[in-house]
Amino acid sequence: MPAKSKPRLSRGVLDMKFMQRTKVKVEKEADDEQSRALYSNEINQKMLNSTSNFIVESSYSICAGLIDGRLSFRGMNPELELLMEQELAEKQGRTKPEQPKEVSDQDMAKAYYANKAPTVAGSMGKKFSTKKDFKRKNSGNESGSPHPKKKQQFKKPRSDDD
Amino acid sequence: MSTTSTIVMPGERISAIEELAKSKRVILGPGLRRQDDTVVASKAGPLRHKEPSTFWVDNYQRRYIPARGDLVLGIVRSKAGDNYRVDIGAADTASISYLAFEAATKKNRPDLNPGDLIYARVLNASADIEPELVCVNSVGKRGKLGVLAEGFFFKCTLNLGRMLLRENCPVLAALTRELPYEIAVGVNGRIWLKAHSLRETIALANAIVALEQSGCAEIDKICDNLGDFLQA
Repeated sequence: MPAKSKPRLSRGVLDMKFMQRTKVKVEKEADDEQSRALYSNEINQKMLNSTSNFIVESSYSICAGLIDGRLSFRGMNPELELLMEQELAEKQGRTKPEQPKEVSDQDMAKAYYANKAPTVAGSMGKKFSTKKDFKRKNSGNESGSPHPKKKQQFKKPRSDDD
Repeated sequence: MSTTSTIVMPGERISAIEELAKSKRVILGPGLRRQDDTVVASKAGPLRHKEPSTFWVDNYQRRYIPARGDLVLGIVRSKAGDNYRVDIGAADTASISYLAFEAATKKNRPDLNPGDLIYARVLNASADIEPELVCVNSVGKRGKLGVLAEGFFFKCTLNLGRMLLRENCPVLAALTRELPYEIAVGVNGRIWLKAHSLRETIALANAIVALEQSGCAEIDKICDNLGDFLQA
């Protein structure tokens, strides 16, 4: 057995304050081993590794799926009826988690992009756009001309000007 | 729940279940026992089957056998130290701790006297020790459990109690078409009823007792005539 070959901690060490949790663990291990030794001649191999397909359930209420027997009808006990209602709602929620959609996925996508997405898409798009794109957009908005303004350059003064 | 009409007798081997157990897991309910790979009935009655693979024997019985998780009605018999003794119709009286009530502490004990009726859950049931009850759920709330005040209490067979608690049982709905009422049905064959007047309460009790000998199939027909019992 591996437990026997394992080195054991001495009592002096186990009595130390910080070893208390280990002490409990070691004691439990020793206990288990003792009880295993005690019953080893009672337990046969079949009991140890037999896999049974039978589950024994002694309660009628669980077997037959009986409901809770405390009920109130037509406002006799409002407190109880509230509890019953909650239970019913919970049960229905569990049995049919997929509720009918009032808005189809396609409508949702359309409405989403119409209302919200432009702002989001715009701010993300800005991140990836280059300076050139930005300029082109700006100029397009302001002047409406398809061509960007000609870059102004320094002109050499003519000699006859002065 | 499908209603199979096979009647089994104690000691009878049920090979249909044995066959099924070879391929998948089978739940054996009360009235069925297993020895190695053989399944034997230990009670007499119709063999019931619920999908996918639950089997039990629905025998006629008046003596309640406690089972963990059952909801039962009990009568407080006496107070014994920290526990109350409660009669739930089983072979032994059950015990319930004074701490097993909502908001109960050592200082603040529940006001429970001999003769009181409680609706409780069986926490612990074993052949060798007395059953233990609780009046709170796992989070310490009362829920539907607790003391039942006023009203009218009577005993019936376990079968009738179970029949009333079947999920699609039409009886309670049929009764409420006539009267508003409050009811507590224990699987230990005990019923507590409360309506607006004593006369109504007794009428309801008579109507329920009248169902005693009816089978699952006849219930619908009888329910239509329940109004007659209420008039009588």
